[in-house]
Parts: sequence; C-alpha cells; structure tokens
Amino acid sequence: MSLLQSPLSRMAKHSTAWILAAVLVVGAFVLNMAASGVIVDIYTYFCINLMLVLGLQIFMGNSGILNWTYVGFVGIGAYASSILSTSPAVKEMAVANMYPSLVELQTPIIPALIIGGLVAAAVAAAIAWPLMRLSNAVGVITLFATLIVIHVLMTQWDNVTNGPRTFFGVEYYTTIFIAAGAAAVTLVAAYYFRESSLGLRVRASRDDRFAAMACGVSVVGVRYYTFILSSFVAGLGGGIWAHYITSFSPKSFYMAEAFVLITMLVIGGAGSISGATIGAVIVTVMRESLRQIEGFLNNSGVIDFQVYGLTELTVAILMIIILIWRPEGIVGGQELRLPFVGSKHRSAESADEASS
Amino acid sequence: MESNSNQVHTLSVTDLCKSFAGLKAVDGVSFSLQTGEVFGLIGPNGSGKTTLINLITGLLPATSGTVHVDETKTTGKPPHRVSRAGIARTFQTVRLFRELTVLENVEVAAVSMGFPRREAVSTAHDLLVEMGIEGYETRLAGEIPFGYQRKLEIARALAMKPKFLLLDEPAAGLNEEESDLLLEQLRTIPLSKHVGVLIVEHDMRLMMNLCDRLHVLNYGKTIAHGTPAEVRTDPRVVSAYLGSAG
Ligand SMILES: Nc1ncnc2c1ncn2[C@@H]1O[C@H](COP(=O)(O)OP(=O)(O)OP(=O)(O)O)[C@@H](O)[C@H]1O
Ligand SMILES: [Mg+2]
Repeated sequence: MSLLQSPLSRMAKHSTAWILAAVLVVGAFVLNMAASGVIVDIYTYFCINLMLVLGLQIFMGNSGILNWTYVGFVGIGAYASSILSTSPAVKEMAVANMYPSLVELQTPIIPALIIGGLVAAAVAAAIAWPLMRLSNAVGVITLFATLIVIHVLMTQWDNVTNGPRTFFGVEYYTTIFIAAGAAAVTLVAAYYFRESSLGLRVRASRDDRFAAMACGVSVVGVRYYTFILSSFVAGLGGGIWAHYITSFSPKSFYMAEAFVLITMLVIGGAGSISGATIGAVIVTVMRESLRQIEGFLNNSGVIDFQVYGLTELTVAILMIIILIWRPEGIVGGQELRLPFVGSKHRSAESADEASS
Repeated sequence: MESNSNQVHTLSVTDLCKSFAGLKAVDGVSFSLQTGEVFGLIGPNGSGKTTLINLITGLLPATSGTVHVDETKTTGKPPHRVSRAGIARTFQTVRLFRELTVLENVEVAAVSMGFPRREAVSTAHDLLVEMGIEGYETRLAGEIPFGYQRKLEIARALAMKPKFLLLDEPAAGLNEEESDLLLEQLRTIPLSKHVGVLIVEHDMRLMMNLCDRLHVLNYGKTIAHGTPAEVRTDPRVVSAYLGSAG
C-alpha cells in the first residue's frame, strides 16, 4: 500500500508512457537537425498518424468495439478547423459555394484546431448514445453505416466542404515539432485515460459486459463518454493533419484511411498504448519502404509492367497474418514495461503486501 | 454511502415470474431476506435458481412480480442501478474481467459504486488479503488458478459494499477440500460485512450446515421453505430434490 503510492513506484508504473513521449519529442529534434527533408516529412506524418491511432485506441482499445466511424470524425475536425483558420479571401476562391457566414468566419489557428476537436466531439455526443447500446456485430455494422452517412454529407454539402472536390489553400502549420508534440501529449493522455476510473470501467465492460453491469458499471454510459473523448482526439488530429497536408477531399476520410488506422492499432495490439505505438511504427516503416520499392520497380524498367497496390496488399496481408497468429496484437493487452522497473517493482509490491 | 452498519436491510421478492417462450422458469416465487442472514436456494438442475438471481439483479426483465431493497423497488431498473441499490452477485460460470489485473477487478467494482479511487484501491487490497489472494494483485485475472478466480469474484462483489450478496454456486468446479474451505470463509461474511447472503449450492450437506433458512425450487415453483431441519424432512423435497440429486 505505502509502496504502491510512493512517487517512485508511481513513476515506475507509468514510465512507459513518459518514455515513449520523450522519445517522440527527442526524435523530432534529432531528425530535424540531422536528417533529410524526406525523413522529416515521413516522421511528421508518422507522428500525426500516431496521434490518430492513439485517439482510435481510446475508444476501440478500451471498449473492444471496432470503430469504423472514427475517421469520419477526423474529417469533421479537418474541415471545421480549416474553415475557421483559412482567410475569407482564400475560402472565396477555394470553395465556390460556401455559405457567406462561413466565409466570413475566421479564428487564429490554435482556437481553430481546438474547435475542430470540439465540433467532432459534439457530433459524437449528438449521435452516439443509441450506437453505444449495440454490441458486437450489430454495433460494428452500425458504426460502419455511420461512416457512410458522414462521408455522404461531406461529399454532398458543398456549401461547407466544397463537395467531392478538393478543399485547398489551408495554411501549413504542422511542423515536425507540432506533430511530435501533439503525438506525445496524446500518448500520455491515452495512457492515463486507460488507467483512469472511466478507462477502468470501459475496459471492464469490454471484458465482460454482464459482469460489468452487475458491478454497477453503466456500460452504455461509459462507452458513450469514451466515444466522445476519442472523437475529440480524432477532430483535433484531423485539424493537425489538415494543416500539414493543406488540401484534401472527403475521400481522405473514408474506408482506405479507416483501414490503415485500424491496421496500425490491431497489429500492435489495441489494448495498450505501447501496442498502438508499435503498430504505427511498423505500418509506417512498411508503407514507406514498399512505396520506395514500388517506385523503383515502376521507374527502373526492371519489369515491363506497372506495379500498383503493393503497399495496401502487403499491409493487409500482414494484418491477416498477425490476427491469425496473435489476435491480441504483437504487444497484447498489457503495457510494455521496462524490465528493470517493471519486474522488481511488481515483486516488491507483492512482498510488501504479503508482509503487511 | 449512507451505510449505517447496524441498520437491518430487507430484500423482498414478491410473486416473481419469468417465462421463456411459454416455459415458466420462475413461477410465483416470494421470500424475503435480511442483512446478517444466510439464505440457501436449492433445487434440481433447471429449477430456476440462476434465472431467479438474474431477475433479482435486473440482468433479465421479470415477466411479473417485484423486488424491493427496503422501500426501493428495483424491478424495472437497469442492472447497474440495481447494483447501486445494494445487490451484488457472482456467476455460476466465473465471469471475471480477464484482461484486467486481479487488483483492477476488485477496484473497478468499488469505483463504479462511487467510492474515490484511493479508497477503492485500499478496499481492494484488504479484500484480496481477506479472501487469501494477496500476492496476485498485478496478475491478469484470467491467468490465476481457478480456485482463486472463484474467490476473486466474491472479493469483487464485496468491494461494492453491498447490502445483499447473491452467490450462484460459488464452489462449483472446486475440489472438496477447496469448497469446504470456501464455505467456511463464507460463513463469516454476513456478520463481518453486514450483508445478507443468498447462496445457491447443490451440496445439501453443506447447505444444511451453512444456511439459516432454505428455499427449495422445483420447475420454477417454491416447494418448501424453512429452517434446514424443517426442509430436510419435507416429503416433497425428499422426492423432488434429494431423490434426483442423490
Ligand atoms: N435465456 C434463456 N432462454 C430460454 N430458456 C432459459 C433461459 N435461461 C434459462 N432457461 C431455462 O429456464 C429453466 C431454469 O434455468 P436455470 O438456469 O435458472 O436453472 P438452475 O436452477 O440455475 O439450474 P442449474 O442447477 O443447472 O444451474 C431451464 O429450463 C432453462 O433451460
Ligand atoms: Mg444455475
């Protein structure tokens, strides 16, 4: 008990998140100084994806419900923040039919990003309650259908989104430091959320819905609040992504992207922050190297036809292999702990308990 | 929570019925149980014992009839509200949060009852020690030996500081020695925790020994109730239960 609550053991217990976050930030500084522009770009993009995967993990990993809708909230945040941060002159040019009131609306970039997150969270709050009552197959199908609804709205509501056409002219804001910082903060937040009282209750409902109810957990309620939080991170991450990529269209927030994020999460292990992180690293490295290989094959004339889809194919096959071989992902449901702090801390704690 | 530890609470079940597509699994059962008491529910396989527990805890909606904790009607409430009215349970087949640690399993039950986190952790530690599962705190619940899983489920239910604890065959799957030990432990719970215990078990010898009162079901209906001595000699019980179980 005393040992459990000492600052030292608390730090040891939570070391994983802090170490990973520190590595992300240090990585940004080192690469920014030492690496080529391509590497800096890849790392920035990786950090944004990591932030998005961690946001996905908050709901999907802790509740165990496959969340196809997530990428729709990324889109909502991307559009909302871009509409707010872009100047009226640019919007007039980029989005021909935009509502005049939206054209006039402009905020500085930080509030724009935060409002992007809040809009996504508000939409989630408005629609999620009935969805959270569903479970398993029905719930997954419904979340999938919800993504389709969001997608159709994005492609059709051209007074807001420019319809299926590209929304361009968004300011470039997301540097490697912003991306790494955002990913680091999300990582620590997702970690502490998992350990929080809400996180604990959602995880209990994931493991056994009926036992959780019998223990006083309002399963629908805890899922609902977790879903809203996850959607907030989606919206915020969407804004950060939009201000990196600077032009996008609704198809950026559809099945292909949803699949990439889900793959990153599932390969590493949805149940833990370490799993989400490792999954994002693996998929990013694979995608980037396969893209190079694909480019090389197509440009060098080694083969006399063009190769497309090598990346998607390999990532999908990797997902299949991992799910067959290790359904809980590479890391599994528990956080990785540094061996020297982890095991000693654990046995000391038990010894302390046994002797008290 | 307003628990005045000397106050007596009553769980009243009144004319409770449950039909599954025509099959009357629970058919007009009434009884009441007070804190400090051990109440045994027995009956042959399929007689409706588990269904009755599911009705009391709100996991299944009742076809008719009511359940009250003191003056509060719990029938019609969702299960998590029923739990908050003071009813905790275990399951016939162990249902733990298998990917949560042993400590978290107990902690989450206290947390969802509204106890502050720190208090929940220390309650959880104390209960694990009391149930004899200390030293396993950081292990995953799904990975500890089966006998400990059974005890962990009881610790988890007690962490809710319930008024009533419903145990559905807590010794099922344990060997004779383990189940004797567990039932010895259970004997002390009503007074030390100030709860009313409703227990379902098949072993008549143990139940006669442990329970203050027994209630016998057959095909969903009450066929006898009273002290163990009264029930033991009841001819309907002898033919319906002892006969078939022997
Ligand atoms: N969800 C359900 N749907 C349909 N019938 C059910 C359902 N649950 C239970 N039953 C039926 O209701 C009757 C009572 O079952 P119940 O599980 O309550 O018996 P039990 O006394 O707990 O038996 P056991 O000693 O085997 O645990 C049985 O005939 C069972 O088949
Ligand atoms: Mg049963």
